[in-house]
Amino acid sequence: MLNNEPRGRILSTLVTLVVIGVLLMTFDVRLDGGGVVGVLRTGTQTLVSPLQKAAAVVVNPVADAVDSLSNMAGLREENAALRNENAELLASIILVQDQLARLELLEQLYDLETAGDELGRTVANVIGRPDAFDAALIINKGTSDGVAIGQPVVDANGYVVGTVKNVTGGSATIVPITANRQALTVMVGNQIGTLLAQPNSHLMRLEVLDARDPVLADDRVLTSAVSANYPAGLPVGIVIEDAAPSIDSLRTFVDPFVDPDTLRLVVVLAWPPDPVSVTEDDTAIPVESTTTTETSTTTTTLGGGG
Amino acid sequence: MRLPKALIVAMILVAAVVVQTTLFGQVRIISPDLVMLMVILLALTRIRPEIVLATAFLAGLLIDLLGSSLLGLRAVVFTFVAYAALRTRERAEIGRYATALWAGVLSLFGVLLLVLVGTLFGQSSLLGPDVVTRIMVVPVANLFLAALLAPLFVRVVDGDTMALRFS
Repeated sequence: MLNNEPRGRILSTLVTLVVIGVLLMTFDVRLDGGGVVGVLRTGTQTLVSPLQKAAAVVVNPVADAVDSLSNMAGLREENAALRNENAELLASIILVQDQLARLELLEQLYDLETAGDELGRTVANVIGRPDAFDAALIINKGTSDGVAIGQPVVDANGYVVGTVKNVTGGSATIVPITANRQALTVMVGNQIGTLLAQPNSHLMRLEVLDARDPVLADDRVLTSAVSANYPAGLPVGIVIEDAAPSIDSLRTFVDPFVDPDTLRLVVVLAWPPDPVSVTEDDTAIPVESTTTTETSTTTTTLGGGG
Repeated sequence: MRLPKALIVAMILVAAVVVQTTLFGQVRIISPDLVMLMVILLALTRIRPEIVLATAFLAGLLIDLLGSSLLGLRAVVFTFVAYAALRTRERAEIGRYATALWAGVLSLFGVLLLVLVGTLFGQSSLLGPDVVTRIMVVPVANLFLAALLAPLFVRVVDGDTMALRFS
């Protein structure tokens, strides 16, 4: 049986609150997360992030322990695979060191200078997520570490994770590409397409308009130079099924390299490079500052001429 | 000296938000909606129903502000869940299992409403990978947590050590 308390006041409170909520949703849609809504988000995150950081100190080891227990069966196989990968990587490092030495020698011979287009990188720990239905990641670095809204985020291997949506002095919220409503401009081979998240699937839909060539399974999908949000050439994922152009467009699906649920560490890229320094003086020399903390290293490059 | 009830509720909700966004944000195999559960359990206390609704709205708004989805979405959903909880709370006062089941059913209503309203407002990210699993896991996790926490929660908020003592 339902509760028989006087309903009038409760119902009017409910209606009022729902109307306020719907108005807030409408404002948020209209302002696209900016304006007053953005200020409110930043203010709230500024207040709560110190508590989240403090809690993360206790929670992270517990989360690691639970993850290890749940993955116990696969750990032995994973260790063996990692040992093999480690040996291959060591061999690659030796090869790259050899090539670097040769490059340096050639640069000296031809009197070449480096372009100075390296991006600043801020390594950050993932300290939380809002809830089970919000894929956003909360990280422990903010404006005081050089993080800004809109900057691209990659994982430790350089694979695309997403972009910074909100930032406070000491924390930021990352929206993964798999949860972003905006399409990502990508490149497959020499063709440019868009990548869009799919409901109820970890796969993303790739659409190539003006397609000339087929796209094959296992083709790598990279960020495009046309993209306004990412530097070109960052790996995004891999095509999972062949697709041929139909009239002049093609559609297929892409398996992203990154699973946001398993991320513990991300790298925020200082991109695009500081536009002020570039417009003031196109020949500006990059100024690099490096700070090292207990958990991570932050390098910020200003005025990179890229 | 006893702390004011508003302060106790505020402290519990902030603690729930912090635990929700850190511990349960990292351990994905156990994913309750702790804040929604606190909102549901508030209906069992002696707090005035209008205040329960307003608290539910603010708690939802806080989660919205900390996340990336639409502002006001969880505020509206939590308010509806609190209303449903207030209207059906007599069913929860039968026993511990009834309380847990009641909280689980209301949580299921909450997550379904969240997905429905979110989809209507273009929040397709709510329908991310494994959405069906999450729709089932969250209420079940809330059900177990309600069985553990409900009596303690009501006793702390109401300051009544005899509250929800089932024989």
